[in-house]
Amino acid sequence: MHIPDAFIPIPQAALYWIIALIFIALSLRWARKEMKDDKIPLVAVLAAGIFAIQAINIPIPWGTSGHMMGAALAAIVLGSPFAAVFVLTLVLIVQGVLFGDGGLTVMGANIINMGVIGGFVGFYSYRALVPLFKNIYPAAFIAGWLSLFIAALVTAVEMAVAGTFPLELGLFSMGLYHAVIGVIEGGITAVAIYLIHTARPDIMAEPSGAVSS
Amino acid sequence: MNTRTFLFAGLAVALVIAAAAPFIASSNPDGLESAFFGIFGAKEIQGSEISEEHAEAAEEEVTAITGNEFSFDSPFPDYTIEGLAKYGEAAAIIIGTVLVLAIAFGLSRIMARPE
Repeated sequence: MHIPDAFIPIPQAALYWIIALIFIALSLRWARKEMKDDKIPLVAVLAAGIFAIQAINIPIPWGTSGHMMGAALAAIVLGSPFAAVFVLTLVLIVQGVLFGDGGLTVMGANIINMGVIGGFVGFYSYRALVPLFKNIYPAAFIAGWLSLFIAALVTAVEMAVAGTFPLELGLFSMGLYHAVIGVIEGGITAVAIYLIHTARPDIMAEPSGAVSS
Repeated sequence: MNTRTFLFAGLAVALVIAAAAPFIASSNPDGLESAFFGIFGAKEIQGSEISEEHAEAAEEEVTAITGNEFSFDSPFPDYTIEGLAKYGEAAAIIIGTVLVLAIAFGLSRIMARPE
């Protein structure tokens, strides 16, 4: 879902950068307030793991592929949507600057889609779903799926605003592909949460008002 | 599991994924790219054949629409290292993984510092 430079006119890309910078500032405020010494290894490992797993494109039908985004995972494990913005921004900067994956002028849009939308949708849908299922894993799966699917639809709207995709066809094709890629997102999110929960139940954020472990 | 073990176990998992990525990843276009090719006539949205010729034209066409001609030569374009094939890609992704780990660790340390 990494938008390349050519897909968005520079004035719009600049606007996305401004919005992204506001969320980056808020994510730094989150980090300043919530980051404790015992959380540092988890943040570092999550960021590295998310970077690595984003390199694995899994084939889906229609000659297409997709990879995990990881925002829902970061937000759920660290207990804040701003944690996803923090982690995904680092990942996207390294991807864009070192590997040309995702444009630089449009990096603000990529941070909004994958970090902000992914993080907020993932975090709040997880929080709403845990009490419903009384189990964190199906909640994590659906939160992961939704985070990717909604981020893809937002990307399609940005493409329509940019004049790159017609709105309906953009929503249809982005929705179709990412409904399938979302299964990868949901599955890996649930598995990763299981692994972290098993290794270190103490460092994972509690979904508020719900029973975990 | 103590914190040190957790950190190293997590890093080990990330590095295994990084090293394996180029050998197992699909080279099909990703969702956004595939939608782009579909909309610009280089493939059917629900088909899988990509016309190389149309794909190139599509890229010129979209640049003409947005006027965003910005381009930037990244050191390891598309996770490749010049002259090295798949092993170079594995190395590039490992470098990226370690770099992300170091930046995340360093920045988190700074953020966690008391006033």
